[in-house]
Amino acid sequence: MSARSLAQTLSLRIGVLLAASLPVAWTSAGAGEHEAAVAKIKDAAEGWNELWREVIIDITIMGVIFALVTAYLLVKYRRRSPDQEGTPPKFNAALAVGWTVIPVFVFLSDDLFVAAKGWNLWNMYRQVPAERMEIKLESGMYSWDYVYPNGVHAQNELRVPAGKPIMLRMTSRDTIHSHFIPDFRVKEDSMPGRVTYLWFSPKEPGEHVISCAAYCGIMHSYMMGKLVIMPDQDFTKWYDGEAAKLADAKKNVALN
Amino acid sequence: MSDHVAVHEHHGAHWDTSVWPLVIAFGILFFLPLSFTLNFVYHKPMLAILSLGLGAPMIIGGAAGWTSQAIGGGEGLSRPAMGWFILAEAMIFMSFFANYWFNRLTAVSWPPEGTPAIPQLMPAIMTVFLVSSSFTAHAAEVGLEHGNRSTFLRWWVVTILLGLAFVSMSGIEWHHLMSEGFTYGRNIYSTTFYSITGFHGAHVLLGLCGIVAVLIPALMGKINDGFVKTVSLYWHFVDIIWLFVVSQVYYW
Amino acid sequence: MSFAQTAKEWIFTTDHKRVGILYLIGSMAAFAIAGLMAVLMRLELSHLGPTITNNPSQYNVWLYNHGAVMILGFQIPALTGFFANYCVPLMIGAKDVAFPRLNALSVWLFYAGVVVVLLGFFIPDPPDVMWTGYPPYSVMTTGNTAFYTFTVLLLGFASILGGVNFLTTVSFMRAPGVTWSKLNIFVWSILAAFALQLIFVPVLGTAVTLITFDKYLGTHFFDPSTGGDILTYQNLFWFYSHPAVYIIYMPFIGVVFEIVATFARNRVFNYNMVVFGGFGGIVLLSGEVWVHHLYVTGMPDWLRIGTMVTTLSISVPVGLTIIGLVGTLYKGAIDFRTPMLYALGVVFLFLIGGLTGIPLAVTSLTVHLAQTYYVVGHFHYVMAVAGTFAIFGGVYYFFPKMTGRMYNETVGKIGFWLTFIGVNMVFWTMMVIGVQGMPRRYYDYSHFPQFQASHELMTFGTAFIGVGFALAVVNWIMGAINGKEAGPNPWGSKSLEWTTVSPPPHGNWPEIPKVDADWHPYGYGARS
Ligand code: HEA
Ligand code: HEA
Ligand code: CUA
Ligand SMILES: [Cu+2]
Repeated sequence: MSARSLAQTLSLRIGVLLAASLPVAWTSAGAGEHEAAVAKIKDAAEGWNELWREVIIDITIMGVIFALVTAYLLVKYRRRSPDQEGTPPKFNAALAVGWTVIPVFVFLSDDLFVAAKGWNLWNMYRQVPAERMEIKLESGMYSWDYVYPNGVHAQNELRVPAGKPIMLRMTSRDTIHSHFIPDFRVKEDSMPGRVTYLWFSPKEPGEHVISCAAYCGIMHSYMMGKLVIMPDQDFTKWYDGEAAKLADAKKNVALN
Repeated sequence: MSDHVAVHEHHGAHWDTSVWPLVIAFGILFFLPLSFTLNFVYHKPMLAILSLGLGAPMIIGGAAGWTSQAIGGGEGLSRPAMGWFILAEAMIFMSFFANYWFNRLTAVSWPPEGTPAIPQLMPAIMTVFLVSSSFTAHAAEVGLEHGNRSTFLRWWVVTILLGLAFVSMSGIEWHHLMSEGFTYGRNIYSTTFYSITGFHGAHVLLGLCGIVAVLIPALMGKINDGFVKTVSLYWHFVDIIWLFVVSQVYYW
Repeated sequence: MSFAQTAKEWIFTTDHKRVGILYLIGSMAAFAIAGLMAVLMRLELSHLGPTITNNPSQYNVWLYNHGAVMILGFQIPALTGFFANYCVPLMIGAKDVAFPRLNALSVWLFYAGVVVVLLGFFIPDPPDVMWTGYPPYSVMTTGNTAFYTFTVLLLGFASILGGVNFLTTVSFMRAPGVTWSKLNIFVWSILAAFALQLIFVPVLGTAVTLITFDKYLGTHFFDPSTGGDILTYQNLFWFYSHPAVYIIYMPFIGVVFEIVATFARNRVFNYNMVVFGGFGGIVLLSGEVWVHHLYVTGMPDWLRIGTMVTTLSISVPVGLTIIGLVGTLYKGAIDFRTPMLYALGVVFLFLIGGLTGIPLAVTSLTVHLAQTYYVVGHFHYVMAVAGTFAIFGGVYYFFPKMTGRMYNETVGKIGFWLTFIGVNMVFWTMMVIGVQGMPRRYYDYSHFPQFQASHELMTFGTAFIGVGFALAVVNWIMGAINGKEAGPNPWGSKSLEWTTVSPPPHGNWPEIPKVDADWHPYGYGARS
């Protein structure tokens, strides 16, 4: 993360703090930022990397502050003689309330700040672009079965064209499975009786691992697939070829 | 606090013991987990019965031994403790209902296919019986407060009779529904229906056991006020839950 | 006293201290079993492909036993069984709990649960449903799901009885002068934890009972083909099991408060903030966040967003307890004895574990992180490490009280540092490979060969943890046999449990202790 975006993160945080009342903090972080963020983040996976960095910096700061304060106190107030006692200053009601309200306020602001950012990204994850390709997925012990819009079937190998958002509509024929593509920062469970979905946007041609992320049975760890992203023309060639094969097969069935 | 330290107590000091808790705990182990597993998982009914035969006397004997040790020695705290216990019990019913509501509200049509007409009259009578048994239990308690032993006994016995009537009507109704093919594996409604009413019925039985456990020593002249109050608190709870059961499962 | 007499007075005991020690023995045995499972798992994972078994099912059984026993058989019984039993009556100045026999029933129900776990090693079809027991797998498996259910039910029932007992005890049996505002932090934490147990255990009990009904009696609670719903189980399960993490957190941080206050010879910083803001806030919020375990199951969007907000805000009350802990060091007089080392270890390691929960709470980040080793790393830091350190520190701290003798300080410190190094080697690595996509519950990771080295490192680190903990246990056993006499109050604590002899006799004090008006369990130094 660059120094500039770090500064941005921090100043936003301070801004939220200064907003002085929680409802204000809430709306300012939640609503105003939304459009800008959607425009900036082109796809969910990039948004994920971005938010991950920010949240890690956030919690690292929190953690380091607490750890340093603790370490300092430990060194400063170590016992010097066996019967030394603590000498805490008197604590009055105002101090007690202050020491509760201020931390609550700081922590809550940080939480709401993170929540607002997370919400933005979540919208990315759930709003599927209209120009997508929809593929059906039925998972089962222990395979992924895809059905393309033109009826082509594929097992454990998901071929997709580069540059087109892909949406999977998923269900399962037995236990719960979870279609996980680590490189695209996305997973969602599939199960009998429900249809779930996820989408991702493949850009460069290449191969990626698909794994099953929900304990589904004895061979859970062997339930693997491959995501093959192909250049557009290659994909079309393969796709139409498969469709033709399928049509042939149907014809043969009809003839017999 | 003064820095007073007790004189060292030497060997031979007496520590309280009771065998019954251990007997009951392992009785429960034989009675439920082991016999269930033997019968339904490993299909060894003989062994399951053996296990039941081992567990049941352990539980009953343990409870009897426990009661005879406890009677007269109560700290009088059993009523508030029963309050906490009821909180936990209420949560069990809450989860059954949550499950039911969730399934029902997301169902395409209700009742699901294969559900016969659920009788309407019987549950109404059962409600009347159970609710009045709560009042009779209270009357018994009031009798006891006024030191009137025979009033207490009279109303207490009426309570038992009402409770028994409730349970038998429940049994008749189950029998009737099952004979119409509405078995517990039929659909999600039957599954829910039998589990909720069955679970409630089990509570009525448990309450009845408590009432009887008060009655027997009472007939012999030993009445423990705290125990009476605790049992009738539980009974009121069973009664109130029934109102939820009857309104949600029968009349909704 | 004859051996038979002694044995009888232990096995049939109704005394809260002995019941507590029975809990301690049982839960430590559970820890040893579940720790052995962890070692086997780590050996299996140390290389790509099959390593010490070529049967994936065997690994799943180890994993099931590891997770379920660590949580249900070790941590919850150690905290709400052992510590609650041993300390609460002593801390409030009571002779025993309200219902001693009920207490004995609890501990034996706990042992009955342990028996079921042990039987699981001898049957041909041991349970393999993971500690979460999700249907439909738990209904379809050939493993013995009934044992899973009954383990949960027996331990849960024990816990409910414990809850009834302790809430009553603290409400009605405090010694005169021990007011609500003078309760030890640990006593408050136990009250809060048991309140959660009473509310939530029944829900778990119902959920697991229903899967057993579905599997063995032919009902259809979680069967979509007849109108049931799979996710209902997950909702019910996590409605308990999320609060369960605070049932673990609150007592263990309570123990840490006792240790830190004593070894810093200091008042607890902002007592009311810790009790009402911290524990109170946790109790109020803990029931509203369970959906964060279902972020990738297809729950409705509003629930995922709402839960993100509630989950994040639970860092507020938890943060307040941490502030209270750190503030207790301010102007103290800190002595670094073994229990204190463990307690300080908890502070640092819990910070890592708790803060790594924050990314998990954000639904959109969890879309990648869920079900990976990142989650495993998170909860080992927060629970397996922080929780176990608190338990070990607590046993060290109360050791002189329980046995009347001293443990060996050097061995204690060596043990601490070994585990401290080991846990960071193991669990930090987990989070790193988790973010890179290593899924959890994998018997074999042959599709992720890039993680081989990390897995080797983790297996290596486990040896440090194991040796460290083993040293602690050996230290206790040796200390109990021939340690130096400790006297009633070796730490110079002001809290009531240290005013009686060590070990305390039956009945704790000859008479119910009387406290002065200005007495306070943390009334150190400057008060005069
Ligand atoms: C003792 C046990 C314990 C505790 C205390 C916690 C505490 C927390 N946990 Fe954890 N968790 C588990 C045990 C625990 N957890 C277990 C066992 C699982 C996995 C179960 C399974 O699937 O098998 C799990 C899984 C889990 C998940 C699900 C992951 C998944 O499966 O996809 C999530 C998601 O939100 C989560 C979040 C949190 C959060 C936000 C906290 C918070 O309570 C943490 C709060 C603490 C801090 C934040 C640090 C201290 C505070 C401050 C320093 C104040 C300032 C900080 C800020 C303002 C940020 N946990
Ligand atoms: C309190 C809880 C707790 C504790 C302490 C631990 C401790 C450890 N855990 Fe565990 N773990 C869980 C709770 C815990 N775990 C849970 C809930 C899961 C998820 C389960 C699931 O997915 O369903 C899990 C899962 C889990 C996994 C994930 C496996 C997978 O997803 O495939 C791994 C992998 O390495 C692991 C490793 C370890 C290791 C190396 C330790 C080490 O720290 C262990 C060190 C201990 C020892 C080596 C034992 C030493 C013993 C003694 C000193 C005792 C001697 C005593 C006497 C003789 C009386 N754990
Ligand atoms: Cu399919 Cu795991
Ligand atoms: Cu949780």
